[in-house]
Amino acid sequence: MRILCLLKVVPDVDQFRYDRERNILIRENVRLILNPEDATAVATALGFKRDVPDTYIEAVSMAPRGAMPHLEDLVRRGIDQATLISDPRYAGSDTWATSRVLARYLGRRDFDCVFCGTHTLDGGTGQVPAQLAEALGLPLMVGISTLVELISQEGQAVVDVDGETAMMRFSVALPAVLGFQYNPECKLPYIRYEDLNRDVSGLINVIGNDKLGMDEAELGLKGSLTQVRSLTTDALEAKDPILLRVDQDGIDKVYHWLEQKGFLQP
Amino acid sequence: MKRVLVYIDEDAVEDSIDLLEVGRLMYGAKGFYSYALAAGSRYGEAGNLFDHVFRLKNGPLPNYDTATIAHCVETLHRIYYFDAIVVPATHCGRMIAPRAAMRLHAGLVADVTGIGTDGNDVLMVRPAFSGRMLATVVCRGGGPVMMSVRPRAFTYGEPVFKSAEFLDIDVQDMKIPGLRLIERREKSETRDIRKSEVLISGGGGVVRDFHLLERLAEALHGMVAASRKVVDMGKAPRAIQVGQSGKIVSPRLYIALGISGSAQHVAGIRNAEYIISVNTNRQAPICSMSEIVVEGDSQAFVEGLLKRIEASNIQTYGD
Repeated sequence: MRILCLLKVVPDVDQFRYDRERNILIRENVRLILNPEDATAVATALGFKRDVPDTYIEAVSMAPRGAMPHLEDLVRRGIDQATLISDPRYAGSDTWATSRVLARYLGRRDFDCVFCGTHTLDGGTGQVPAQLAEALGLPLMVGISTLVELISQEGQAVVDVDGETAMMRFSVALPAVLGFQYNPECKLPYIRYEDLNRDVSGLINVIGNDKLGMDEAELGLKGSLTQVRSLTTDALEAKDPILLRVDQDGIDKVYHWLEQKGFLQP
Repeated sequence: MKRVLVYIDEDAVEDSIDLLEVGRLMYGAKGFYSYALAAGSRYGEAGNLFDHVFRLKNGPLPNYDTATIAHCVETLHRIYYFDAIVVPATHCGRMIAPRAAMRLHAGLVADVTGIGTDGNDVLMVRPAFSGRMLATVVCRGGGPVMMSVRPRAFTYGEPVFKSAEFLDIDVQDMKIPGLRLIERREKSETRDIRKSEVLISGGGGVVRDFHLLERLAEALHGMVAASRKVVDMGKAPRAIQVGQSGKIVSPRLYIALGISGSAQHVAGIRNAEYIISVNTNRQAPICSMSEIVVEGDSQAFVEGLLKRIEASNIQTYGD
């Protein structure tokens, strides 16, 4: 079984701080993390490899060079190979342009399955898995909560999906693109002590457009079919709250407020 | 006249029909012909609200056959040249829209929550960075304006009644979907926290006493909700998680117990009418958007409030 894991390194949005005086969101100096749903996908792949040792896992990320430490970290955690698709000409690509670059690379790889997260924390469009599946002509399922089984001989995966109105179990023909939702119980394994400082540089490839040969008119900002006109902070209306304490007076005041607003109908 | 295609997801028929409002905001009530793609077996009132409804000649398709439905969208576009293609951002809609956009070489904007115009450009507003920012995006290139729209972000408030022309479309070269549904278990309707007017929501500060929340929810005719932290700890089901990664709710009253208010949580409750937050730290981010801030222990607060409500009920019945 060969699994390709698609990864994105994203800013940790929980660290964003809101500057009320200037009415801006401070996005600088925020730590970069592996997108949590992508981490679930990698952890699922590594869990599968534990049970089926002849599994080969390659992590693929289209990102600036700054993503390198995250890929090194994953190799130390047990994936077999990592590929960083990095080229200044790719900067600013929207999901359409990004999916085409990824499809160009994946089209040259041999694999049974593509694992990825369903959404990312930053853009959060969730479009890349589907656009990639379409470009490669593969079946797709996203929102997967559990990988039930993955059998390369039979060429199928069985997955559970937690949908809006129903829980569903699907069989998906391989090769396919599988998008996972965040599962906190599915954690990346720890790095073994002897691997902490292991030199993994030989297991990470960096490739750019010289290798992939995409038409430059289809890359980056100018090759994108959507354009962000503006990015504004969704300012919260700051209220002037009534301040109370958890004591009899506080509880009485909350009670009367609830009564006055009509929340205490018998 | 403009032409707008709306995909009707059979799992979210009303939310899909509401996307007619997006057409109205883009082109005006009388500025467009509306087309519904009813690929599934359910399409509700679409026949009374759209100008045209497309069904499939070979019979309905399940909504998870996203590759074939995207192929249908492309086939229709090659005949009708839509100005806009609008898809609900449901589980399946989120797979169909990107696939169709890829086929049509069209720009696609995901999870739209607001629409504006600037001359001939359609401006699509969507949350980014887990709801901390709003991005205004436009489509470029020669393709149609394409978007997936967050369910319930728009309501078709002033419907124009029509009698649709039904058209059966014949889609050639249908692919084998590679997907088979093995089992489906419906979630019970009553569990949907988005439909509750009152939510009693617990965070990291009340993990140990989570059952208490049920009693308060019952007393206030509401439902229990939870923050991501509680769900991640396995103390509450994901179905009741509030926030950008859970559900976006808009209750009249949101009581936040032991919730500090992370960015992604706040993104899920910004439409709540009133927020009461109970927290040991009155500087917690959620406090600045609250109507009432009660400083102290959440468990003691819930117990005290329950006692107060019960006492007055006894009094009332005694009268």
